[in-house]
Amino acid sequence: MESRVLKPMLAVYVVAFILFLYGPFFVLWILSFQQGPDGGPQFPITEWSTYWYRQIFGLTPPSRIAPLPVGEALVRSLILAFMTMVTSTVLGVMSAQAFRRKFRGSGFVFYLIVLGMMVPGVLTGLGTSLLANNVFEITRHWYTTAFATHVAYTFPFAFLVMLAILNRFDSSVEEAAWSLGVSPWKTFRKVTFPLIFPGVLSAMLFAFTLSFDEFPRSLFAAGGTEDQTLPLAIYGTFSVEIHPNIFAFGVLTTLFSFALLSVYGILMGLSVRRARKLAMQEEIA
Amino acid sequence: MTTQTAIFRIDSVTKSYGGVKALDAVTLEAGVNEYLSLLGPSGSGKTTLLRVIAGFEVPDSGRVFFQGRDITNLPAHERGIGFVFQNFALFPHLTVRQNIAFGMANGAVLVSSEETAHRTQTIIDMVGLTGMEDRGVDQISGGQRQRVALARTLVMQPKLVLLDEPLGALDANLRGRMRNELRAIRERMGVTFLHVTGSETEALAMGDSVVVLDRGRIIQRGAPDDVYSTPASPDVAHFLNRFNLFEGTLSGGTFTGPFGSVVAAKVTRAPRDVYAIRYDRLRVSPLSASATGPALKATYIANEYLGSSVMNFFETADGKVVEVEHHLSLGAPETFEPRQDYLLTWAPEQAIVFGREGK
Repeated sequence: MESRVLKPMLAVYVVAFILFLYGPFFVLWILSFQQGPDGGPQFPITEWSTYWYRQIFGLTPPSRIAPLPVGEALVRSLILAFMTMVTSTVLGVMSAQAFRRKFRGSGFVFYLIVLGMMVPGVLTGLGTSLLANNVFEITRHWYTTAFATHVAYTFPFAFLVMLAILNRFDSSVEEAAWSLGVSPWKTFRKVTFPLIFPGVLSAMLFAFTLSFDEFPRSLFAAGGTEDQTLPLAIYGTFSVEIHPNIFAFGVLTTLFSFALLSVYGILMGLSVRRARKLAMQEEIA
Repeated sequence: MTTQTAIFRIDSVTKSYGGVKALDAVTLEAGVNEYLSLLGPSGSGKTTLLRVIAGFEVPDSGRVFFQGRDITNLPAHERGIGFVFQNFALFPHLTVRQNIAFGMANGAVLVSSEETAHRTQTIIDMVGLTGMEDRGVDQISGGQRQRVALARTLVMQPKLVLLDEPLGALDANLRGRMRNELRAIRERMGVTFLHVTGSETEALAMGDSVVVLDRGRIIQRGAPDDVYSTPASPDVAHFLNRFNLFEGTLSGGTFTGPFGSVVAAKVTRAPRDVYAIRYDRLRVSPLSASATGPALKATYIANEYLGSSVMNFFETADGKVVEVEHHLSLGAPETFEPRQDYLLTWAPEQAIVFGREGK
């Protein structure tokens, strides 16, 4: 009886939720096919066209609307996200590995690490820029100061993901490897790492996406125009006038994200088969 | 046993976890090519003992020797001691062959790929895994996993293999078969096995010698039949799970318990007075029968058919359950009326008496 009422209600709720989640993106997607260069960022669509997509890639004749200044910013953001991903994941795996054994002050160190994701980004960004300007007297760059703030921000995520994975990890397979005369480092490479790889992938994904669209920290810590990351560059264009080229760009980056997620999904699917094997083995125990 | 032939020796090893002593000054040694089984209830420290010998745990005090060398502070991967886990701990991302070759392929000692392949195949044939080489370890049965775990360890040709309840994860049928195989494989390889088990039948059936561990201390060591027929203390008798134990008082060579007073011909020294009589030494008579020796009135409750024998359960006036085993080879079992009183009798010389008066 209850489900006859509850189920449709929940269904409606889920549909509403999904509409709310994807509605804005859907509107953006429609508007990105607005006629150009005279069509504005609003309904109605005067004429369907791919003008704004072509404009992003510089395939349209010059007009009064400047192309989005995103080319270099995009490259910077991708490189920065990649650097952050590698650094944070390596740090996350290493520190989570350290937390498998209780050590003196481990509670304190735990909170110290997690603090990086708790502190408001504006404070971190501002603090870093003040530190760079007044204490160290160094020039701020996206690949130095901004990179440091991005690592401080994403490292806790990678750490927590790896902590959860290693918490469930059965150390007897490592001990088995040791008892076969295999050194701890080789055991990590040949046994531990392949088994925690799904977790490492998740940590990498977290670090990459968080860094890629990071705004407040980059805003203060990244320096001048020649150091702008993608979110900063896009924000910069808002202050002048909004054209549908931003929507087209948004659609492209979303597609890129989906592609990234698909790669993640495929890799995950491959390693989940391994994880299932491990789970079966644990069941016997 | 002299130290020259001892393959390993641990010298008053103590290990505590948060103030609780898992091992309390344990000293133990085993000879070359010996099968030692270690029996103890859970929490007796038997797994800790294995982990200390393997190098997974560092003892708080005491020394560990292996092949005459002090290895107390040597890391596990430099010890050359095999370890078989209860959950097998196979590498789930590798095939059967890769699991078995893992130590040779990745160890510090360089083994040529031809020799690795040869040794892997030899051991695969020996443990009966031929044809399974390229399967994943999730595609084989529990018994086969057990064999992979064993083969993976034995292929490294260790002089000592530690087995932590290796049969615990198998079903009863397989357990019986693997027992025989373990013994046979060990004899062929000439390795020393230290086999930890919580099952008294396994310990008695498999070891050349049985070590009984309780609360971090070794309370008896001996040949299986000696331990079985002459347990050193009431605790050992209790773990063997073959004795009815009665509390009472021993005074001047006479034991007074729920069955009255009996003269104890021989008393084993123990911290408390306990009268032990094996399940299969008790006889059941009608209440009207006149007993020549000690007799105990008890109410019949139920029985349990065990295949080769029948276990009858009785309850004494003070609520204690007494078990009487009847071997079916001695003839068909008698049938008893539930809730009826019977007289349990035994020959006093077959009882084992523990007490403070003992020698």
